[in-house]
Amino acid sequence: MAQLGFFFDGSRCTGCKTCVVACKDGFDLGVGVAFRRVYECVEGRTEKDGAGICSTTCRVFYLSLGCNHCSRPVCIEVCPTQAMAKDEATGLVAVNTRKCIGCGYCHLACPYNAPQVDKSRGHSVKCEGCPDRLAAGEAPLCVLACPARALGFGTAEAMAARGERAATPPLPPAEETCPNLYIKPSRDGRAAGDGVAIGNVAETR
Amino acid sequence: MIGLDTALGEITLVLFTTLAPAGAMALLLMGLPILSGRASWAEVRRISTYLCLPLIVSMVGLVASATHLGSPANALYVFAAVGSSPLSNEVLCAVIFLMLGGLYWLYSFRRAPSPRLLRLWIGAIDLAALAFIAAVGLAYSARTIISWNLWEVPVAIAANALMGGPLVALASYAVGRCTSLTARRAKGLAALAAGALAASVAVYGLQGVDLGSVGNAVASVTDLVPAYGAAVAAFALLGAGGIVIAWRATRNLPADGTPPEGAIRYQLVGRLCTAAALGLAAIFVMRFCFYLAHLTVGLGV
Ligand code: SF4
Ligand code: SF4
Ligand code: SF4
Repeated sequence: MAQLGFFFDGSRCTGCKTCVVACKDGFDLGVGVAFRRVYECVEGRTEKDGAGICSTTCRVFYLSLGCNHCSRPVCIEVCPTQAMAKDEATGLVAVNTRKCIGCGYCHLACPYNAPQVDKSRGHSVKCEGCPDRLAAGEAPLCVLACPARALGFGTAEAMAARGERAATPPLPPAEETCPNLYIKPSRDGRAAGDGVAIGNVAETR
Repeated sequence: MIGLDTALGEITLVLFTTLAPAGAMALLLMGLPILSGRASWAEVRRISTYLCLPLIVSMVGLVASATHLGSPANALYVFAAVGSSPLSNEVLCAVIFLMLGGLYWLYSFRRAPSPRLLRLWIGAIDLAALAFIAAVGLAYSARTIISWNLWEVPVAIAANALMGGPLVALASYAVGRCTSLTARRAKGLAALAAGALAASVAVYGLQGVDLGSVGNAVASVTDLVPAYGAAVAAFALLGAGGIVIAWRATRNLPADGTPPEGAIRYQLVGRLCTAAALGLAAIFVMRFCFYLAHLTVGLGV
């Protein structure tokens, strides 16, 4: 099988976070643990002039992110135990919990904020692409749950036909980890520059 | 402050990177009279016994670092990625250094240890200590962690070890009543610490300039470490305080190293331990800032 990956349609996403909740529910994740996060990306300024009239250039767009099962995964490069590994057949990146020491280096190095150490379990946890559902021929939970049909999952080749490889702010340049995430940006997302900031930082930590 | 979560979450690593390199450098410096072959046999035995003090400083750091692991039971797997993961390299270097140090210490208690073997062994420990300090400096050089993947990071670790190490070595000599603690050697060690303090401040200054432009969509380093300048000032003051105390405490020691007796001895030990504690506290401040400043390209903070 070829490398698998995600598609995200920014022109459809409403920022409802159903994907986040569906994933948390499906994997019974507690407070503070999430395999998928929706980032509220903000750019521009709101100002008040001398006459007290407000004007704004603010734009907000959303970005739903799990693990991108990268083709140059830095999480695997830094992992001291080889617990973080890429499946040869599917390209999905997963944590071997029998090897993971919970050092958190994958969390510190991933530029997509995907893995985190679940203190209660003592090891790193992250989106592993719903392998059980894939084996049963079903779509990942987050993809299935999205009411706007903004998420897709399949071979990287098929996803690439639907969007561009994720590379624009607030995401890092694609060459950093070669993410298998393909995006159709919203109008505001397409125009985003280096000034874009995350509006829901506390929620996405 | 979001960076505070990382720094507090990794507080044991702050402690590890403060204590372990300084302990390793102290052990290297303390053993120099053995390596050079200048120490008398009685002094070789005395230094060998009290080498356990810097070793304990390093060991406390290593044990502290192990407590931050979620599953320490799986720790043996860390050797699986030696060569590819800088963290595996660091752990391997730590284990080699501490094993060589610990076994040397045990061997030195034999009724008649071989002087030649002790000397060779000290040489091997010194090489392991240098490799360990370098490995600690490079442990978090990951290409995506843009606030850590800077040349200043390993240089600062080495300079910090050269600042804290001499102070720990002086205190260990004093506790062990070693005759190697002459006014001349103490002056040399204090001068080394002072030079390393100046080098550390310079490196932190350059690092501050480099970090000034580093940020991602979540935060910038200036948001994460707003008091970086004050921290460098605190580092300089604490370090200088420790060095001045050590210099004042040792400047009138006898040239032949005859250890002082009675109350004067306790005073010397107390002042040199205070000096070492101040030096380590200085390093701790900047190591805390290091973890505060964690930031990746993209979305990681
Ligand atoms: S998104 Fe992060 S955790 Fe996932 S494969 Fe890429 S680097 Fe690794
Ligand atoms: S937390 Fe586990 S998977 Fe992540 S780097 Fe450490 S050992 Fe590897
Ligand atoms: S693919 Fe599965 S594990 Fe990954 S974010 Fe979606 S629901 Fe969660």
